[in-house]
Amino acid sequence: MEAVDASAAETPEGRVARRIAAAAPGEAGEAEAELYRLLAPRVRRYGLRHLRDAHAAADLMQHVMVHTIAQLRAGGLREPERVLSFVLGTCRLTVMDQRRGERRRAELLERYAGDLPMADLQIAPRLDQARVADCLERLPERERTVLVMTFYDEQPSEAVGTQLGLSVGNVRVIRHRGIDKLRRCVDAGRRLS
Amino acid sequence: MSGAAGHLSVDALLEYWLHDDAPAVSVDAADEHLMQCDACGQALDELIALGEGVRTAFRAGAVSAVTTSGFVQRLAGQGVRLREYRLPVNGSVNCTVAPDDDLLVSYLEAPLAGVQRLDAVTEWSLEPGVEHRLEDVPFDPQAGEVLYLPKIAAVKKLPENILRVRLLAVESGGAREIGRYAFFHRPWPG
Repeated sequence: MEAVDASAAETPEGRVARRIAAAAPGEAGEAEAELYRLLAPRVRRYGLRHLRDAHAAADLMQHVMVHTIAQLRAGGLREPERVLSFVLGTCRLTVMDQRRGERRRAELLERYAGDLPMADLQIAPRLDQARVADCLERLPERERTVLVMTFYDEQPSEAVGTQLGLSVGNVRVIRHRGIDKLRRCVDAGRRLS
Repeated sequence: MSGAAGHLSVDALLEYWLHDDAPAVSVDAADEHLMQCDACGQALDELIALGEGVRTAFRAGAVSAVTTSGFVQRLAGQGVRLREYRLPVNGSVNCTVAPDDDLLVSYLEAPLAGVQRLDAVTEWSLEPGVEHRLEDVPFDPQAGEVLYLPKIAAVKKLPENILRVRLLAVESGGAREIGRYAFFHRPWPG
């Protein structure tokens, strides 16, 4: 797995971050919007995984992007091209802070959010729910059961296996097979419509 | 477990998302990778959307499932309104479903010790002579019961009818019936 800093100067994020850092504060609106468009969905994903809540993930996204752009404007990043590393670090610290009940996030949002250039984001895909239900019904019983138990309250393979008397490896194989069939079926429906 | 061109495989993404024990790729490594790889990020978005689709379909009563009492108890703990019927081997029950029920649960008691594979055959009085076979249904042999959750959204629309279910232990020599059950369904009055 590559490190976040690998060839940082050559990444689109690194180039855009340098442009923001080199401009007078607030004078790089386009670059700031570009950075937002590039990084905000990734921060949101991080938030979804670690906070398990769409609103909390959206808050994290706003906070981290506000903080990152504020730091770039103020010259607070010594190596702006390493912005990915900074963003990931900020995500980790913010999630830890949130768990400790910190209020710094709200203060920063209040201070900077007003003049942050937002870009349109393509958020997670939306699926045809009737199609998903139909495709689920077509799965073999065992695969459907494993998928329902896995996703309904986001159970890891060990918990599903314990309840069904299956090994972890067996659950992962059934889960893999079921997801593959479900994706193909849902995708086929999307192509038809 | 990385996929092509250094990308995370679907399994690795799923393990990451579901907090699986002993994932092939550590959480920190996956966080770092996803912070710079939009292709993997979009693949994860697709998986999350698929998971949400499964959850929504199940919550809406649009899919049936054979599951376990542990799962049903967790649902009850989350405030899901259950209507439950327990049938002994070769038993029958008068049943219905209320408009505000979220889930219909049938507990079919059966001698499951030693059973390797279980099939269920269903027949509705609305379609006489037409049997549907559910192959290799999951079960916990220790529990001595099979939990069947029908599509409650469809059941709520059914007229009076009888559903007959047979459980078959599938063995090398063929299938052996280990229980039969009858549900005498009536629509919710009013």
